Amino acid sequence: MKLAADRLLGIVLIGLAAFVAVQAMQLEVPFSYDPVGPRAFPLGLAILLAALASVLIVKPGTNEAWPGRQLGVKLLLVLATLLVYALLFTKLGFIITSLLAVTSLARMFGAPWGKALLTGGLMAVVSYYLFAHALGISLPSGYWIEPLL
Amino acid sequence: MFDFLIHGFDVALSPLNLGLAFLGALLGTLFGALPGIGPINGIAILMPLAYTLGLPAESALILLAAIYTGAEYGGRMSSILLNVPGDAGAVMTTLDGHPLAKKGLAGPALGLSAVSSFVGATIAIIGLTLFAPLLAEVAVMFGPAEFFALMVFAFASMSVMMGKDPVKTAIGAVLGVLIGTVGVDSSTGVLRYTFGLPELYDGIDFVVMIIGLFAISEILLMLEHANRKDGNEGLPPLGRVFVSLKEVMACKWTMGRSGLIGFIIGILPGTGASVAGAVSYTTEKRLSDKNNTFGTGDMRGLAAPEAANNASAAGSFVPMLTLGIPGSGTTAVLLGALMLYNITPGPMMFSERPEVAGGLIASLYIGNLVLLALNLPLAGVFARVLTIPRWVLVPGIAILAFVGVYQLHSNLAAIYLMLIIGVFGYLLRKLGFSLAPVILGYVLGGLMEQNLRRALSISGGDLGILWQSGISLGLWIAAVALLVLPWLLPKLWQARTSKA
Repeated sequence: MKLAADRLLGIVLIGLAAFVAVQAMQLEVPFSYDPVGPRAFPLGLAILLAALASVLIVKPGTNEAWPGRQLGVKLLLVLATLLVYALLFTKLGFIITSLLAVTSLARMFGAPWGKALLTGGLMAVVSYYLFAHALGISLPSGYWIEPLL
Repeated sequence: MFDFLIHGFDVALSPLNLGLAFLGALLGTLFGALPGIGPINGIAILMPLAYTLGLPAESALILLAAIYTGAEYGGRMSSILLNVPGDAGAVMTTLDGHPLAKKGLAGPALGLSAVSSFVGATIAIIGLTLFAPLLAEVAVMFGPAEFFALMVFAFASMSVMMGKDPVKTAIGAVLGVLIGTVGVDSSTGVLRYTFGLPELYDGIDFVVMIIGLFAISEILLMLEHANRKDGNEGLPPLGRVFVSLKEVMACKWTMGRSGLIGFIIGILPGTGASVAGAVSYTTEKRLSDKNNTFGTGDMRGLAAPEAANNASAAGSFVPMLTLGIPGSGTTAVLLGALMLYNITPGPMMFSERPEVAGGLIASLYIGNLVLLALNLPLAGVFARVLTIPRWVLVPGIAILAFVGVYQLHSNLAAIYLMLIIGVFGYLLRKLGFSLAPVILGYVLGGLMEQNLRRALSISGGDLGILWQSGISLGLWIAAVALLVLPWLLPKLWQARTSKA
């Protein structure tokens, strides 16, 4: 058998189905008038999922082309940027983190440095005023800036 | 019988709602025109902002529906001008739309697609007005068992009709339903799949889910095209801006037929704009392509899918408003949005919340007029949106996604969850899944379980109740037929022809 991505996926999904089923069985159900209870539905889904996954293993379908190494690295970079954006979001505040995130994302999507920085600055400031002032969303201003205010 | 509509126009014509319909139409068209952002992404990204405005339910729904229909309008821009369909529904539009643009008729093509979108949508909205209250009257008789059977039917129909691979569509739906089971079980208070994380007790938030699944995965997917300069190579010249009356009249029957086809296909659960576009295009080709001009820039080849996909957008409101079963991924998102307001769409909505049902339908009439008025003269302006480079677009989506999720509870856990769901969505898309079934499963799963359990607690655990009534039995049979026939018919056909 050729190892297609779909076969692997099928195996992973069967694992997921087993996990779902085991977790459902372990639920402690208090007495209630509900004859079905919270277990049955996830159990049924697990069985259905396992059945469908088996079909996938026997008859794998088509996938999109997977990213090559260069693209894979870029993909991880973008994800890392988003993660760092989230990590620093409340600490450094919306304006600074957005400036950093927008600038680096713009760079990754092919903007030259000057334009990336300009986009970052404009987007961070304009969106802060739009969201915080016009729409009244409370956005983190950052711990560092508070003593300065 | 049409009290709800009169009441609806009262609601929709209030200055606030009129303004929202206008704003939604404008934003929707802009977002739909952005490369890579279809209606569903547009709604996913803009929905959290609609919430922060603190709007009443009917106003929020009017805004979101206007964004939806607006995005269907906007999606044609890149199909016609760049030969890049903005989403699945716009694929057929490229076939004759782009050749027209290459002939120097981009302006008239955009104008014609605006007119056919208008005609198609109008036919479907009239259909919705006439048909929805009737269906609601039938659906009032539905009990939990019938609703459960209806959802089984909806999932069956979706598996067969949506996406290329029925198995993957079904898996996607099951995964969506599973994601929906996370959190506290409403009838027993038992925590399911929360892994001791308090953030998961309330389940996976709808906004987090759709933004992660659509917006974040789209960012990752766009990276592949980061170096492809599709918008920057310059747009073809628009030529004259207006489509002539003669050209429109040449397509009038095409528009009428395609509008009807689109409406009917839109009603069926799971079959959205892409199926409607394809069916209407092939029908028109068969009926009126006498000189083999379809595919080379025939106006009728453009009018057919454009009328049909906008008609199907309006048609998909029929099952959503009357049965609470969305007809497409985008209406699933709208359904989820309504549920955030504690409104469960269903047959009672026409009698209990006429301001929501009627207001929405009335606003569709208004929004459709607004869209035509916006799109005819401003096509050139909207077309310029296409030249926005990805390095501006992507960070913009990222900011909107972060702010949209952060404002829900002002905590970071939701943002991390959004990123995880985004990666999950990306992997699914890479593996050849379409995301609409996942979101449909997520939205419908909870209702499905509730109805199943309600039915079985009525019967005291006897499974027989699920197919006892004529309606539910019919739905079960229809569901099985849908699943088996596409597989069985070709075999029977083969057997017969080989005998003869």
